[in-house]
Amino acid sequence: MTTFMKRLAIVVALIGVAVVPALVPASAASKLSLWRLKTYIPPADKILDANAQECAKKVGVELAIQTYTFDDMWTKYTAAIESKTLPDIAELDAVGPARLANLGRLTDLSDVVAAVTKELGPILPNAEGAVKFGGKFYAVPHYAIPLVLFYRKDILAKVGAEPPDTWEDIQKVSEQVKKAGIQDFPNGFPWNRTGDGYDPAMSLLWSYGAAWVDKSGKFVGIPKAQGLEALKMATRAYLVDKTSAFDYLSWSGSTNNESFMAGKITFTPNGPSILYQEESTQHPLQKDTAIKLMPKGPAGRNLALTFVMNWAVPVDSKSTKEAKAVVSCLMSREPFMKYMTGSFRQAVPFFATPLNDPYWNTPTGKIIVETVKQGHPVGWPGPTTPAAAEVVSSNVLTDMITRVIVDKASPETALDEANKRMKEIYDRVPVK
Amino acid sequence: MLTDRHRERLLGYALVAPVAIFLVALVAYPFLSAIYLSLTEKVVGYPARFVGFRNYESLFDSARFRIVARNSAIFTGASIVVKLLVGMAMALALHKVVRGNQFIRGILLLPWVIPTVVIALTWKWLLDLFRGLVNVTLIDVGAVTRGVHWLGDPTLAMVSVVMANVWRGFPFFGVSFLAALQTVPQELYDAADVDGAGGWQKFWRITLPSIKGVVAVVTLLSTIVTLNDFNIVFIMTRGGPGAATHIFATYSYELGIMSQRWGLAMAASMASLPLVALLIVGVVRYLHREEE
Repeated sequence: MTTFMKRLAIVVALIGVAVVPALVPASAASKLSLWRLKTYIPPADKILDANAQECAKKVGVELAIQTYTFDDMWTKYTAAIESKTLPDIAELDAVGPARLANLGRLTDLSDVVAAVTKELGPILPNAEGAVKFGGKFYAVPHYAIPLVLFYRKDILAKVGAEPPDTWEDIQKVSEQVKKAGIQDFPNGFPWNRTGDGYDPAMSLLWSYGAAWVDKSGKFVGIPKAQGLEALKMATRAYLVDKTSAFDYLSWSGSTNNESFMAGKITFTPNGPSILYQEESTQHPLQKDTAIKLMPKGPAGRNLALTFVMNWAVPVDSKSTKEAKAVVSCLMSREPFMKYMTGSFRQAVPFFATPLNDPYWNTPTGKIIVETVKQGHPVGWPGPTTPAAAEVVSSNVLTDMITRVIVDKASPETALDEANKRMKEIYDRVPVK
Repeated sequence: MLTDRHRERLLGYALVAPVAIFLVALVAYPFLSAIYLSLTEKVVGYPARFVGFRNYESLFDSARFRIVARNSAIFTGASIVVKLLVGMAMALALHKVVRGNQFIRGILLLPWVIPTVVIALTWKWLLDLFRGLVNVTLIDVGAVTRGVHWLGDPTLAMVSVVMANVWRGFPFFGVSFLAALQTVPQELYDAADVDGAGGWQKFWRITLPSIKGVVAVVTLLSTIVTLNDFNIVFIMTRGGPGAATHIFATYSYELGIMSQRWGLAMAASMASLPLVALLIVGVVRYLHREEE
């Protein structure tokens, strides 16, 4: 009897083990996780969350939303990559799709992109380099927060200067402002360890013809003559004309916003969040604040698009179909337009229809849209690669500049060091 | 049948087991894993590949790492020396205070109980070039005509992060020293008074020798904590300007999280281990010798 009971118990347990998982998916599939960026525009974040919950309801799933900031994004994702606990839906930064797709951790979203294209029109070609690898889309470009040049209209009027169009112009006007005794350090370009540092650093190098890869993304090194010219321009404000303070090199992500709004600088590169802050607080400088495309150099205006967010569906997800459906829904016309028009011009789309929406038909809107249209992905003129991502994230470019400014290394030495570091990265992380 | 002695021994093992398991799981395993990872080429998402001491070799060959090591030594050394002096002054002063002693002690402990993030943000604001209270005050009182570049000048930036670290850490020294001071017998001071010893002599001959064990342990613990400090530097300067305040912890973060190179990051954070181990051995030996 005892043996019979034991056998019975084992059979029941085995049946349980076999049957329960079959029942579980129905409930497991109904709960999805979504990780998104917490931006500087809280009202836009609220709209995105409401959209996501609405989409989840339509798809018939529950959605748990978690957030991260630019500072802790990779801390969160690094742990999740290693523990294989990436969310069902991940909002990734400009280099995230390249890194995760290279690891084989992202689902092919080409079908989702095709569906979004039908809704929102063709995708901008310059967005593809960051999300399309081997002919497949591994992420759907959500939006870009383009860096534009913020400047003070009133101060420029006082010194009789036109809004600057080149890197050289910014330097000249900064000198005029300083000479006029209006501000000690008007040039707020921080070559620091945040996006406000490495995004303009890329734009500067590229506009001087100093890219470090070829069109295939293969490492070729920063060409010496162009690199030295760009370095000269980046360091002049700190070392020669003293129109930038060394403190700017230690700025965090929001210090340039604060310094601009405190009236201490004339120029700074930033996303449109300053416009939102000034508008929402009725800031006294609102009437004197203007924006312009980031400057051009001898090789043209080659702007970097570093603050780009993309939707991806990691392979860790057990509900890929539902996750894709939520992404499709978020990128469908109604929710997307609601988010875009509630973003205080922070969320610039990569699809033709919303880009041509009258919402952007304002003086600032046109500049913001133009920045995205002209922008290039990290690793330009090649596609975004894990190696290019590492060049940016390990601060090779801004370190090159600060080696000259802070450590007083010669520009030649700093350039050689940077090329050496980049070569080591590209040798170790080959372009697939 | 188990003898009483065996039972007693088993009971002993059983009682120690939870703590031993806890230590192995939470201390030994992560520590040994970190050592192993430092000997591998481990990139996030890829399996680790054993490379021996190659990570250490590449670090020691790197000019950047040498800057980081030098910065870490300056940051830790300067912070510890100042904390030691300020903490000692705090303890000696409080030891003499009779009225309001508890209240003052409570106030002086505040920096130690405030979250480090808040302390770092507060100091960052205090030292801001344009709007910082320190510069505004200095200009108002006519001490300077223009703001001091506290976080911009490479030397001053290091001074600034050391100041913030000292402000947060000196109460630990002060309170520990104060507790030790209260165990020094009053008779020793009375006898010294009879012999005509001055205050300085009493400090060197009685106070310091009596509390040197506590001084050694507190200094050792604080050295370890300071060497691994991350928040203050990351929030105040992000290691800048340039790499002027980049220390082991911020460098390991840059390598491990931003560049996804765990093996190298582990090697960078392990680089200070021999020094810390030497310090620990030295202090423990010293304490044993003193006890004997």
